[in-house]
Amino acid sequence: MSVATPMSAQASVLRERILTDLIRFRKFFAAIVHNKLSLAGLVMILIFVFMSVGAPILVGPYPSQFDRSTPFQSPTSAHPLGTDWQGFDILKLVMYGGQISLLIGFVSSFVAMVIGTSVGLVAGYYGRVTDQVLSRATDFFLVIPWLPFVLVLSAVLGPSLETTIVAIAVVSWPTTARVIRSQVLTLKERKFVERARAIGANDFQILRKHILPNVMPLVWAEAVLTISSAVFTESFLSFFGLGPRGPNVIESWGTIVNEAYQYLALINGQWWYFLPPGLFITLVVLAFAMLGYGLEEVFNPSLRRR
Amino acid sequence: MNLRRYLLRKVAYVILTVFLISTLNFFLFQILPGDPTRVLLPRGGQSNATGGASLREELIHEWGLDQPVYVRFLVYMNNLLHGNLGTSIIYRSGTPVMTVITPRLTTTLLLIGGATAVTMWAGVILGRISGWRRGRPSDIVITLTSLFGYSMPSFWVSLIFLFYLAYVFPIFPPIGEHSLGYESMDPVSQALDELWHFALPVLTFVVTNVAWFSLTLRNSLTDVLPEDYMLTAAAKGLTERMRLRVHALPNARLPLVTASALYFGWVVSGAIVVENVFGINGLGALTWDATTSLDFPLMSAIFLIATLGVVIANAVSDVLYVFLDPRVREA
Repeated sequence: MSVATPMSAQASVLRERILTDLIRFRKFFAAIVHNKLSLAGLVMILIFVFMSVGAPILVGPYPSQFDRSTPFQSPTSAHPLGTDWQGFDILKLVMYGGQISLLIGFVSSFVAMVIGTSVGLVAGYYGRVTDQVLSRATDFFLVIPWLPFVLVLSAVLGPSLETTIVAIAVVSWPTTARVIRSQVLTLKERKFVERARAIGANDFQILRKHILPNVMPLVWAEAVLTISSAVFTESFLSFFGLGPRGPNVIESWGTIVNEAYQYLALINGQWWYFLPPGLFITLVVLAFAMLGYGLEEVFNPSLRRR
Repeated sequence: MNLRRYLLRKVAYVILTVFLISTLNFFLFQILPGDPTRVLLPRGGQSNATGGASLREELIHEWGLDQPVYVRFLVYMNNLLHGNLGTSIIYRSGTPVMTVITPRLTTTLLLIGGATAVTMWAGVILGRISGWRRGRPSDIVITLTSLFGYSMPSFWVSLIFLFYLAYVFPIFPPIGEHSLGYESMDPVSQALDELWHFALPVLTFVVTNVAWFSLTLRNSLTDVLPEDYMLTAAAKGLTERMRLRVHALPNARLPLVTASALYFGWVVSGAIVVENVFGINGLGALTWDATTSLDFPLMSAIFLIATLGVVIANAVSDVLYVFLDPRVREA
């Protein structure tokens, strides 16, 4: 048996890692495709991402003060969804709106995942007093009614993109913390954790190398579900006029509905002004929820029975 | 489990949560940039309070705003314990916030109570159908529509109802909780008038929240149906209706209580939206007025009351669960 040189040893470790990553990715992908619900969700998400990111190519640049048309036009062939109070094309606004709604959804979900996973890992792994304190804190944030809290927080911090993200992340992390905690509770009793401890791994190493990789699929599922609720929450904030706003800021879907309402689209019979943005919010929320539930079903065996 | 010990623990837990919420409420408003007296000013603006400088001085003294933070916290807690939640500075300058809030509370409780009753009733009916006919077309239609309803933002749903049922087809009134001349009506017409005005707001609640109950009941029925006693009931020759009503439902109903606990947090949020869109002068509409006028003491008090309401409703539903489930009660 020949002793491997350090170079080739490194290479084989690398190859091993790439291979496991690939297998993991394939499993993940197979799980999505296998579940009809999550596949439908994924397709819808891809359509919306394509629509909002591709908006500059599909419908041209975002409307500015320099290419205004007559305000409050009814749908015509030039403006399929009419124009808004500034004379901007509503179809353009709605297509671009996805950029801001999805951006806020992704970023605040990421922040919520960092908080939720850390709390869940620590609470589940250390148990005892740590768990008691963290679990009570989780329960506490879970009962707080989300809309008043988010409204107060963004009123105090002042409306901006960062505020919106922080406010949504603060109300979104508790469910993840709970799910991760209960998973960690069973994982830490497993043999491989005991084995790692026997060969002298410390708590941090065990958490990072043995427990985190095992809860990661669940974190992904939770992340997708949280994007769904984040987009939902963001639309409420924007509808109350507390979303990011300004002359050069892209309006989110909630903001468009807010403006339609403020500028009396209801009384003037302009259904094309408030129906499309609301429908898009609903479909995106539904799409991420479908993908998320599908993933959760695959990765959380305790739910598979249903 | 000892019932009395359980209740005592529950009460202790509620008291702790109330304390934590008050603390959070205090520190939430400490994030405001600038010195502590900033809570008395709208962002970047001048105090346009009618009481002007004297009201400002008075409030700084009352809430210890010129003191260090720990003194302010103690003063705040002391004031709360004496039922003093603050003084409105912009919305209704110089009025104690409780005076502003109390009349609004009845309207909101009426709306929320009615809406919850209708939502639960509809949810139980739909859940019963889809749980019993799991996998059949009626189940699929009910599950998908209730999930779609749940994904719709309530502000959008209320705009749609307002648009089609109040403006395009003027069946329901677009705004307000009473018609003109409400005071001169006889009690029966008053009640009918109230129903007529609350119909669309309640409908919005039902559409967006019915999934809480219908899906919970569907899933718990799914758990109950394969049980041995259901097979026994079928073997005894009971009709489908009897099996569902006498054997399945009493066992499947309990998770509804737990679901309602989570639902309360959403009701508050729903009330804020619905009251604003339909022009109902409740606590939700007040939340909005306080937020737009940046009346921080008023916002703080409403947040405190809304959160306390949810916590207490949660505790009640937990205790109710124990009383309703004989297995837990006697164990």
